[in-house]
Amino acid sequence: MAEYALRRTGYGLLVVFSVIVLVFLGLHAVPGNAVRAQLADSPGITEEEIAKRTAALGLDQPIGTQLLHFLGGIFRGDLGRSFVDNRSVASEIGERLPITLQLGLMAVIISVILGFAMGMLAAVRQNSLMDHSLRVVSVSGLSIPNFWLALLMVTYLAIYAGWSPPLVYEGPTQNLGNNLAQTILPAIALGVAGMAGTARLLRSSLLEVMQSNFIRTVRARGASRATVLFKHATRSSILPVFTVLGLQVGAILGGTVILESIFSIPGLGLLVFRAVQVRDYPVVMGCVIVYAAVFVLVNLIVDLTYGLIDPRVRYR
Amino acid sequence: MVTTTTTTAATTAPARTATWRRSRWWEFVRTQRLATVALVIIVLFVVAAIFAPLLAPYGATEQIRTAIRHAPDGRYWFGTDDLGRDIYSRVLYGARTSILISVTTVVVSGAIGTAIGVLSGYFGGRWLDSLLQRIMDAIIAVPGLVLLLFLAAVLGPSIRNTIIALIILIVPAFSRVARGEMLRVREEPYVEAARANGCGTVRILVRHGLPNLFAPLIVVTSLLFAGVLIAESALSFLGIGTPPPTASWGRMLSEGTRFLEIAPWMVVFPGGALTLAVLAFNILGDGLRDFLDPRSRR
Amino acid sequence: MTAEAPEALGHTRRAGTDGRSASSRAEADSRPAGAGGPLLVVDQLVKHFPITRGLLRRTVGHVRAVDGVSFTIGRGETVGLVGESGCGKSTVARMVLRLIAPTSGSIRFDGTELTGLSARAMKPHRRRMQIVFQDPFSSLNPRMRIVESVGEPLVTHGIATGAAKRRRVCELMELVGLSASDVDRYPHQFSGGQAQRIGIARALATNPDLIVCDEAVSSLDVSVQAQVLNLLKRLQQELGLSYLFIAHDLNVVRYLSDRVYVMYLGRIVEVGPSETLMAQPQHPYTEALIGSIAAAGTSGIRRRRIVARGEVPSPSRPPSGCHFHPRCPKVFDPCRTQSPPLYRLPDGQLSACHLRAEIAEGQDG
Repeated sequence: MAEYALRRTGYGLLVVFSVIVLVFLGLHAVPGNAVRAQLADSPGITEEEIAKRTAALGLDQPIGTQLLHFLGGIFRGDLGRSFVDNRSVASEIGERLPITLQLGLMAVIISVILGFAMGMLAAVRQNSLMDHSLRVVSVSGLSIPNFWLALLMVTYLAIYAGWSPPLVYEGPTQNLGNNLAQTILPAIALGVAGMAGTARLLRSSLLEVMQSNFIRTVRARGASRATVLFKHATRSSILPVFTVLGLQVGAILGGTVILESIFSIPGLGLLVFRAVQVRDYPVVMGCVIVYAAVFVLVNLIVDLTYGLIDPRVRYR
Repeated sequence: MVTTTTTTAATTAPARTATWRRSRWWEFVRTQRLATVALVIIVLFVVAAIFAPLLAPYGATEQIRTAIRHAPDGRYWFGTDDLGRDIYSRVLYGARTSILISVTTVVVSGAIGTAIGVLSGYFGGRWLDSLLQRIMDAIIAVPGLVLLLFLAAVLGPSIRNTIIALIILIVPAFSRVARGEMLRVREEPYVEAARANGCGTVRILVRHGLPNLFAPLIVVTSLLFAGVLIAESALSFLGIGTPPPTASWGRMLSEGTRFLEIAPWMVVFPGGALTLAVLAFNILGDGLRDFLDPRSRR
Repeated sequence: MTAEAPEALGHTRRAGTDGRSASSRAEADSRPAGAGGPLLVVDQLVKHFPITRGLLRRTVGHVRAVDGVSFTIGRGETVGLVGESGCGKSTVARMVLRLIAPTSGSIRFDGTELTGLSARAMKPHRRRMQIVFQDPFSSLNPRMRIVESVGEPLVTHGIATGAAKRRRVCELMELVGLSASDVDRYPHQFSGGQAQRIGIARALATNPDLIVCDEAVSSLDVSVQAQVLNLLKRLQQELGLSYLFIAHDLNVVRYLSDRVYVMYLGRIVEVGPSETLMAQPQHPYTEALIGSIAAAGTSGIRRRRIVARGEVPSPSRPPSGCHFHPRCPKVFDPCRTQSPPLYRLPDGQLSACHLRAEIAEGQDG
């Protein structure tokens, strides 16, 4: 197990490193000069000004040196400074990351709990009306764009309940009620797709396991279908769900960008969106790297948990 | 004696191929009812996209000053938006944008991704396979929309760059499928038999490798269409994709965000069209997967 | 199958006087010196597979799949290669056909050294050596019709395409006892025995001199095995083929082979004419193999069952000295430390057993 853990961790670090390199190369692929692109909309900028900024940011040095500086900076936790307000990128990200993580966590909880419940229900009552309707809900849930779902929910609540989420963000420690009121809608919107995917996967996995020989033995001993389902079948059917969990988290993370923008939640998603609009490259780069790092970390945890549960995986 | 047998064999062969093809289609329609419905819906969308100018009662950018934010009625089936534009017409033209962008994206990235996957899977010496897979993994590691935003920042916003960004997003999915199949096919005994017969690599790839790719690629293509539609709409929603005034579902959604309570139809119909298209592709993909591999019963 | 059968594309069938087809005799006459020699000479063939471990894929050891195997096959001769699973016989087969590259050793086919040839230079030789695999259903592409599968070698070597290819495939089908009208079917539509015949038909397509049968009948029912073996025998007589017949069942091997090589853990342990080997085995392992065959009583081979103890060790860590010594019921001191060479015995048999050292007339490699 230790070797497996080490291998997966090493692999994860390699991926993060690749992302950093590619992001760095992307920056240098900007047509023209990054500074020029960023300042393009500002009036009255002279060539001198551009040259000065370029030098200040070290962009005129050879690529190899820049890459090394960049990597060194990351190692020390320094992601550069914003083009726009010169604040440290790392501290800006640090402020906003917990907010996005909270949103993501809520979405994951919704998706896992509801997804499991739906999947099990559908499997237990196979081919009943509930099963069929749950399956329809599942495939729709996978197909509804999360931003449209969010807009629909807001519209519905505004028109029929006269309620809309608070406009100003407050952290959970400041005002829990307000915070939840703000974050519950985007969390649901983000979690629905994962919930649908999990439900489908769990349902088919359970049904398959229920056909297996060892379940038939348990049933022959007289256990009811529900008992069999919960106690015995669950253990082996959970595994396939793990394989997609990492990807679902990736989709949730991606969705935070658009959902935070709709609900004006000052998280990482909103930060990267605004930064892209004004071409604040250091911030964009920092956000991309952090998003990737979170994704890799979550996948690593999922992989290791999977390795704990299913020993076969460790020897690949 | 041999000659007569061969002539009868020769004449029966072509007929058998034709009926076999046709019967496969019928079998699909028969066993995968839902997926066939989905296919019909997709065809309708494509028709709407192609014939939008003929089907739309109004222009995509035509503003009718007297009909600002009208609820859906006999004249404006989906209502009008805050600039007096007919939403039904805009949805039809939006279909055109979406179909155009998604078809281009999927076709190009399918070609590139499959090539990379085949290269990686079949020829993958240790270093080539590793290098290509590292790049693919790095792309996958950045969550979808974040990657698209990054590429938009690097390349600049325009339809062409949106397509490029979407292509980069989708290529790893194709590559993964192609590589997986190629790795499997490489070890198959009939490939070894072909090599023992002196077959060159090209022939083996074409005659033995590609036919195996067909089924999984078709399935993943349908599912990726769904993903591309959503991604493109998300980008337009954020204002970074298709620039105005081109009608695009995503942009229509963002325009409607300000009027959720007073004119919800601005959001309901474009989003509904998008969801319906995505749903159709997802169901079609599922149906294809079940049909082409009967072992994965859902 | 009679003299009236049409000649097509240089393929002639004769109830062979000397066992060789007209075409291969014609080729023989145009060949340089060495033409009269054996068809295939394999000398000290070795294949070690590296075992890798860890993140960096360090090589920590080797699987010695084939550890110095030598044999010859004459024209029109059938050589049997017998041994349990894992002894390396399939690896030998693949090396002979250059599907795997040997770690060292030499393979001379009709005078030409095959190791070290480029893929392009190898191609013309592939016409003359073919292989029949164990499982026809996986060695025939399940999505390709028979006419395509069997015809593939014809296309690859530029022998025939289109209608000519189809004619030839139909001929081949009839040659192996199947109906030509089946050429448009798919492999799964045939039974095991029929599918294997198709595999044989494909091997015959290019008019080869040598066919390697890698466990060609092992996955067939016993009654079907007999039919296929008879087919192989008949084809050999009509077409003057040589076979390298690989199997784990001695009975099957003995039916078809002129000479038999017994293999254990990557090495040859005994060589001899098939009947003599069965009647008077000169190696404890051969005795064990014979003893494990259900004595039907009719063959007259009745002896006390010589049983080998234990299980076959892993080829990555073979025992010292004679590889068989941990399991040998007749083991004595030299066996543990000295690896026995192939002693040449008076009647022409070879045996790698120290017990035979006194009567040996010399050594072979």
